[in-house]
Amino acid sequence: MKIERMLNKNKSLIVLVVLAVIVLLPIGYYAVSDAFPKSTDDFLEKPDPKYQECVDRTEYMRFHHMDLLKEIREKVVREGIKQDVTFADCKECHINRSSFCDRCHLIVNLYPDCFGCHDYPETARAAAYEEANP
Amino acid sequence: MDRREFLKTGAAISAGTACICGLPVMSAFGQETEESGTKWGMVIDLKKCAREQGCTDCMDACRKENNVAYHNDPRWDIYWIRKVTIKNKQVPGLEKTVPLLCNHCDKPPCALVCPVQATYKRADGIVIVDHHRCIGCRYCMVACPYNARFFNYKENPDWPNREYPKRSHGVAESCTFCTHLVDGGELPACVQACPQKALQFGNLNDKDSDIINVIRKNPVKRLREGLGTEPKVYYIGL
Repeated sequence: MKIERMLNKNKSLIVLVVLAVIVLLPIGYYAVSDAFPKSTDDFLEKPDPKYQECVDRTEYMRFHHMDLLKEIREKVVREGIKQDVTFADCKECHINRSSFCDRCHLIVNLYPDCFGCHDYPETARAAAYEEANP
Repeated sequence: MDRREFLKTGAAISAGTACICGLPVMSAFGQETEESGTKWGMVIDLKKCAREQGCTDCMDACRKENNVAYHNDPRWDIYWIRKVTIKNKQVPGLEKTVPLLCNHCDKPPCALVCPVQATYKRADGIVIVDHHRCIGCRYCMVACPYNARFFNYKENPDWPNREYPKRSHGVAESCTFCTHLVDGGELPACVQACPQKALQFGNLNDKDSDIINVIRKNPVKRLREGLGTEPKVYYIGL
């Protein structure tokens, strides 16, 4: 009886360890590997340094830029009220779309339909920027 | 309180509430016919237009300014302004070439039928489509008595004016009187491009504007006036 119980104890310990390894593996891999961005600061391209601040706080822009864009859109398109900031002004600072809009959208698996109609070049403006600021 | 007095006071109270409740409705109707503010309109002089046979400057300028799709295939081509040859059925042989564009009706049937309010009339009278809302049902194309609306079966392969957005496939579109230029104080692209100055653009509510003078001095006609859509594009010599 006693021996059987001890065996069971050992068995359950092994099972526990295996389970823990399975659970912790992806977390550990995420912590060690460089394949995943740790925070948005690591992989988002910094805007043109001569522009010190965005339209709003960085935290607000990061999570609510779509609300702001919708608000501006309704004002401009529906009511015909010209806004100080429009969608076209984003590309003045954030010159490269693929390293600004697309990276986050890819990670969260979002494909907004903005750029089918609105011009936001992926590389052209960035090349022009590099030419201007060697 | 006798019966007569009761009825009198009751009538007075109900009339009062009707007046108060009716006020917003009345004022909403009042805005429609308000004569102040801007109301953009256009006058097209067909005599001047006929001087240049085969001229397509207005159409080309529109294409360049507004990225209007051209596939060289009549099934998919879009024209915000196009030259149409009209024939007189009573007098055979009498033909006229008429530049046809969205008439920006005061009572736009396209805006009435739009199920998602994508087509609407701006405060200055310009009828435009909010392409973000358009679901591509094409009701407006059926409703328009001037065939001025077109559907994007395909996306435009070219993008000449990068400052102005394209339209994706699956939305209806029509002339906007170049709102982006007009809001900035410029004239629409077709008006700027016309070599004969046959197209004139201006504020119909401004009694001293050139366009009102032209309308007063010349016999003007509008297309299909009998329908009561009250278009804002006037033709001289139609």
